[in-house]
Amino acid sequence: MNEARLHTAQPAAPAEAGSIAPDARGARARSGRTLRHQLLAWLALPLGVLWIISGVVDYDIAKRFVNLAYDRALLEAALDIGRQVKVVNDRIYVDLPDIALQMLQTREYGRLYYLVTGPKGEFITGEPDLPPPADLGTDRISYYDDEYRNHLIRVVTLRVPVEPGSGKGAVLIQVAERITLRTDFARQLMLGMMIPQALLIALAVLAVWYGVGRGLARLANLQREIASRSHRDLSALPEEQAPQEVRPLIRAMNGLLERLSQTIAAQQRFVADAAHQLRTPIAGIKTQTELALRQTQSAEARARLKQLQAATEQTTRLVNQLLSLARAEPGAGQAHATERLDLAKLARDATTEWVPRALARNIDLGFEGPANGARVEGEPFLLKEMLNNLLDNAVRYTQAGGQVTVRVIPDGGEVALSVEDNGPGIPEAERGRMFERFHRVLGTGVDGCGLGLAIVREIAQSHGGDATLSPGANGTGTVVRVTFPNAA
Amino acid sequence: MRILIVEDDPVLADGLTRSLRQSNYAVDCVNDGAEADHVLVGQNYDLVILDLGLPKVDGLEALRRLRRRGSRTPVLVLTARDTLDERVKGLDLGADDYLTKPFDLPELEARVRALIRRGQSGGGSLLSHGALALDTTGRRATLHGEPLDLSARELGVLEVLMLRSGRVVNKEQLAEQLYGWDEEVGANAIEVYVHRLRRKLEPAGVTIRTIRGLGYLLEKPAHE
Repeated sequence: MNEARLHTAQPAAPAEAGSIAPDARGARARSGRTLRHQLLAWLALPLGVLWIISGVVDYDIAKRFVNLAYDRALLEAALDIGRQVKVVNDRIYVDLPDIALQMLQTREYGRLYYLVTGPKGEFITGEPDLPPPADLGTDRISYYDDEYRNHLIRVVTLRVPVEPGSGKGAVLIQVAERITLRTDFARQLMLGMMIPQALLIALAVLAVWYGVGRGLARLANLQREIASRSHRDLSALPEEQAPQEVRPLIRAMNGLLERLSQTIAAQQRFVADAAHQLRTPIAGIKTQTELALRQTQSAEARARLKQLQAATEQTTRLVNQLLSLARAEPGAGQAHATERLDLAKLARDATTEWVPRALARNIDLGFEGPANGARVEGEPFLLKEMLNNLLDNAVRYTQAGGQVTVRVIPDGGEVALSVEDNGPGIPEAERGRMFERFHRVLGTGVDGCGLGLAIVREIAQSHGGDATLSPGANGTGTVVRVTFPNAA
Repeated sequence: MRILIVEDDPVLADGLTRSLRQSNYAVDCVNDGAEADHVLVGQNYDLVILDLGLPKVDGLEALRRLRRRGSRTPVLVLTARDTLDERVKGLDLGADDYLTKPFDLPELEARVRALIRRGQSGGGSLLSHGALALDTTGRRATLHGEPLDLSARELGVLEVLMLRSGRVVNKEQLAEQLYGWDEEVGANAIEVYVHRLRRKLEPAGVTIRTIRGLGYLLEKPAHE
């Protein structure tokens, strides 16, 4: 089959839903904003900021508690040393057992540094270069940060009276350790909190991604429903399956569809009314022209009247075709009831009616088809209009002595109706445009308004079928083939 | 023969009136439904040509009233509407024939002749077709006044063809005419009768055409 599918070549027709989709995709790609991305952005950004703030706060809290705990341990060490301060013969010394000293100085994490000085500042024991407290207050216990051997250190000072109540002053005990110990620990604590939080955020994002996808899947169903619709179907979209939030949108779209079909129906009524209104005056012109022709002998006047008659014929045809088209268009279809009918009988009857006109033009008009079994579901009135247009075209454009054959062929799931003529044919370049309204092949020398095939296609499509155009069996002439779903 | 034209379009009404007067009918013309109703109460016509889209009283209503009064006057309905519904409604209400605007004047004149003839005699018994004539009651056919030697079935086939002269008659219609509803008749038998008829009629220039896949057609005589 080299039949060109022609139903895409109608620029004036409303774009089908399917052809809108690429544009919509393009628009989405340009703005980069799907609902899902927006939701995720709105969820992930605040969560991320919260996470960072929480990290800072966590670190601060961890540092405080770590400090508290480490300070307490440091103080314990100072107190331990303080308990060993002894006075023998007015000489102050600290009685630290070797084992205790080792423990202080060789702890795996951060050795402790200590310095014990007497009431007058005299060195007693420990690290003599441990920096003294900047402010020699009178508090029994105080803490401060300092630098020692190129490291930041935390120092606790403890004053232990030499002999309480003796007025001999107090021994100053300093115990220090590196601060990095604490910051390391605080950092670990903070990470211990932040990593699960980060996991939690990732989980939330995933859950939202999935959830939104699930929610949108129902919208995707709706999209398929709209995309698969024919442009004739202006019925309301189903509301029940859509998410609650989308229902107002669907309702608005249904409102638009409703208004659209009302507008279309009104336009069709207008065209039909206008066509009907034109028929009576045309009947008047025809009658008067015929009368004038009968009463006129002048060859010149008769020639003019013949022209007038031909023009009137063409106007009649145009008016009839406008009516056919208005009836066949979407929206108007509801006015007619469909029924299961025998397409072969319908085609045979229509062909029979055209025989006298074909004979008048010396055209051999014939029919081939089964006695029965060519069942289609359709509107008899519209199908008859379609047949009349097909026959009118074939008889009009075939030369005298030519042949026109109407065929009905039930073929599996389809019933094909074809009208073949051995007329001049239609150039391949023109075929694609033949189903457009008011398109005519130039230079045929035949009057026509170019609506016939547009009507044929409109009616075929309103019956779930299609119309195609191809050359005749031996390369000449034209075959218009209309297929319908088989209703047998 | 009196004809009443009920048509509100003055150009069309004038054209119809003049053409029918030329054919020697006595023609009255009114242009709305109420007037038509009024005229039809008081006068008898042999035919009414009735437009459906009329001012004051609708054409269908005028037709309904006419039939309710028991009038059997033939009515030819003219209408700008051509949907099946309207047509059926008009015929249900007692219209005898139906023409959709715009129509060909010869077509209208032929229908007028047929309706008036039907109204006159309840179906003529003499069919004529150029030089060919067929007496349906006497069961005889003549060509140029000379009796034709036809069998009863050949005569039956010819009668159907002449009744539908210029139009296609299919084999089923011929079979019905020949054998009634009960008997089966082969398509071959029909072909044989048509073949014989052709042999007898063709010398006189009467042509029965075979229409591919559809049936037969008695060609109209050249001068008609």
